[in-house]
Amino acid sequence: MKKLILQRLLQLIPILIGITFLSFGMMRLAGSDAVTERYSATGAVVSQEVIDAAREELGLDKPFLTQYGLWLFGLLRGDMGTSYISGRDVFDTFVSKLPATLLLCAGSILLTVAISISLGIFAATHQNSVSDSLLQFLSFIGNSMPNFFVALLLMQLFSIKLRLLPVLSEGLSLRGAVLPLLTLSISMSSKYLRQVRAAVLEELNKDYVTGARARGVSDAIILRKNVLKASMLTILTLLALSIGSLLGGTAIIESIFMWDGVGKLAVDAITMRDYPLIQAYVVWMAVIYVIVNLITDLLYPMLDPRLRFEEVE
Amino acid sequence: MKKICLALLLFVFTLGELSGCASGRPPASGDKTSQKTLTIGDTTFNPENAEPDVNPHNDYAGWACIRYGVGETLVHYSDTMEVEPWLAKEWENVDEKTWKITLQDGVRFHSGRTMDAEAVKQCLEHLIEVHDRAPNDLMIDTMEANGQTLLITTKEPRPALLNYLGDPYGCIIDVDAGFDDGIVAGTGPYIALECESGDHLKLTKNTDYWNGTPQIDSLIIRTITDGDTLSAALQAGEIDAAYGMAYESYPLFENEDYVFSKIATSRAFFCWMNYESPVVSDPAVRKAIAMGIDKQSFVDTLLDGNGYPGKGAFPDSFSFGGDQVETEEYDPQGAMQVLEEAGWTDEDGDGIREKEGQTLSLKWLTYPSRQELPLLAEAAAATLKEIGMDVDIQVSADHNTIVEDPKAWDVYASAQVNAPTGDPEYFFSVCCLDSSSKNKGHFHSDKLETLEKKMAVEFNPAKRSDLAVQMQQAILDDHGYVFCSFLQMSQIAKANVKGYTAHASDYYQVTADLDIE
Repeated sequence: MKKLILQRLLQLIPILIGITFLSFGMMRLAGSDAVTERYSATGAVVSQEVIDAAREELGLDKPFLTQYGLWLFGLLRGDMGTSYISGRDVFDTFVSKLPATLLLCAGSILLTVAISISLGIFAATHQNSVSDSLLQFLSFIGNSMPNFFVALLLMQLFSIKLRLLPVLSEGLSLRGAVLPLLTLSISMSSKYLRQVRAAVLEELNKDYVTGARARGVSDAIILRKNVLKASMLTILTLLALSIGSLLGGTAIIESIFMWDGVGKLAVDAITMRDYPLIQAYVVWMAVIYVIVNLITDLLYPMLDPRLRFEEVE
Repeated sequence: MKKICLALLLFVFTLGELSGCASGRPPASGDKTSQKTLTIGDTTFNPENAEPDVNPHNDYAGWACIRYGVGETLVHYSDTMEVEPWLAKEWENVDEKTWKITLQDGVRFHSGRTMDAEAVKQCLEHLIEVHDRAPNDLMIDTMEANGQTLLITTKEPRPALLNYLGDPYGCIIDVDAGFDDGIVAGTGPYIALECESGDHLKLTKNTDYWNGTPQIDSLIIRTITDGDTLSAALQAGEIDAAYGMAYESYPLFENEDYVFSKIATSRAFFCWMNYESPVVSDPAVRKAIAMGIDKQSFVDTLLDGNGYPGKGAFPDSFSFGGDQVETEEYDPQGAMQVLEEAGWTDEDGDGIREKEGQTLSLKWLTYPSRQELPLLAEAAAATLKEIGMDVDIQVSADHNTIVEDPKAWDVYASAQVNAPTGDPEYFFSVCCLDSSSKNKGHFHSDKLETLEKKMAVEFNPAKRSDLAVQMQQAILDDHGYVFCSFLQMSQIAKANVKGYTAHASDYYQVTADLDIE
């Protein structure tokens, strides 16, 4: 296990260099820079001298490789730089916004797991019933709607019509979190409900289930002790793979609900070509991907004894 | 099925409980307590808009300082963008380079310090020391403070000095009070208490205000960058007023529950001609473009009436704007005739004209950050095609780089505030002269250069206004620029909000007149 962890952490080094270099290059290819975007946003026209001075101050007048090299050198020293737009320390800014995003991600994953596993199992055990068809139909609808559209529908219902929940989040409050969490969970649950249903159905049709039933083991016990455990491997893989889309999804949702997290920060940074902040977000995403995949790999043998056996062999 | 229904019911009840037991949303208005609270949702107060705080000496944060009633400038712009007294009671030109400014009496900063000439001098010195644009705009050489009189000497004659002093960066603040957390001590009707640009700004009324009685006890500016969220927040009653609402949301508020305040600004959507272009360098083509764009239809249809068709560089509300100049009207038949006479004919019958092997095809460069610009490109492409011009639209965020290459574009459509300080010289000096940094189309007019030399030393406002008309006419006669429309700015508020009025300068959003019933 230690070897695996060390191996993954070492793999992180080339991944980080490659991905940050690519994102740095892609932002340059996208054109414009923080200085022109800033003056463009204000609608004001300033002299070329002012623009040149601002570019020089931020180091944007330097060649591409020099800029990347300076950023990488700073990162190695633990300095992620200063935001071109706010002038604040990137690491401090990022860390101050991280709890909001982590709360949103963790909350939506928990809600998704709770909804999709319970309803997925229910649909599988009631295959071809009215409720199964209804759940499949709802999951189809949920899958078809993009996150921002779900967010607007929820706002319309819960904030404008019923006036139960706020449109704008007020800091890290439970009330403010409900709509963003629901928005993220509806989309993910719709997808996983179908996956869980399919995984459970596959297990239910296996010979060992028939054998257990023949020996008089109740359906509830088979489901809880065998089927669910066997299905967890598939579900866990899906959840791990979805971390990326979840983090990408929070960026939009954070912007819509004014949830002050790193996703909103990243969207704003991309708009304004705030390279140091974009790079910080890219590093964060890469680290999260590697860590989540590592945790998933470590969990596999715990869920499936066959994998433990293969490891010993 | 029963279990699902039960689960859904439980979920709805949980939501109800959550909303009931929570600490409660902040009151959007002061109607239930003796304290008046008002919340304004605003799309612009964020670092991305160069407003990282309310310190006027920091970038464009002066806009936030003046907009939200924290700071005030020496002069105020009237509805027609002419300068009028504010913190300065009166002024006079001692000579071409010397201005004697007399300040109002009885004005105090939020810090309690009296606003006198020494405080203003200290503020302007700090501004010149730290700001990027102010030193070149103001060109202040020396200042002398004596009681309420400030004597300013400029490095060279600066007729528009007062206009520049009305720019938001010119908000007069008590420098000694510091800049902690981006909060400054101004002289405005509201005192900044808590500032987190991109999220919110909390203000309280200045009970010691010199120019009226502020009515709102607690004022909150809430940054809401997403247009749909802004609309939902106003509908849900979480905010009382909104600035920056998307046009498509307007119909939701066109009823008795809300009031609109609309005004034309000098933010113009206009086209620059590229004189290096083999096609556009032909005067007939430029004239045909000016005659071939249906500005009225663009404003009425694509902007849904949220704009004003343009004639010259400045809107109607300016003494030197609107109908003061003559320009081409939309006349497709006339445009076709102009092209025919110049030898541009459609020989191959494909609907696009040619001349000496050159196809009449325009590379139209614009950018997406202003929602009106891609629409303008589409509207122009449609009507210009009718007169035999092919328009190849390039909408790019990288327009600032592309425009540097004269071979990459023929027409460049952009949006900019042409008279942010109410003075006309700014537009010409930045965009149209041989020395202008933004004159990427290499427009040149001997007449304009001569007029600018006069403008640079003319102090009389009426004569400056007259020169501005002549200068506009010079660029319009050569069809070097086509001014398509001006932005109509709208602020929307609940019907019980009073005094939330849009101003042509886009600066004075919160004043002592703001109230909620």
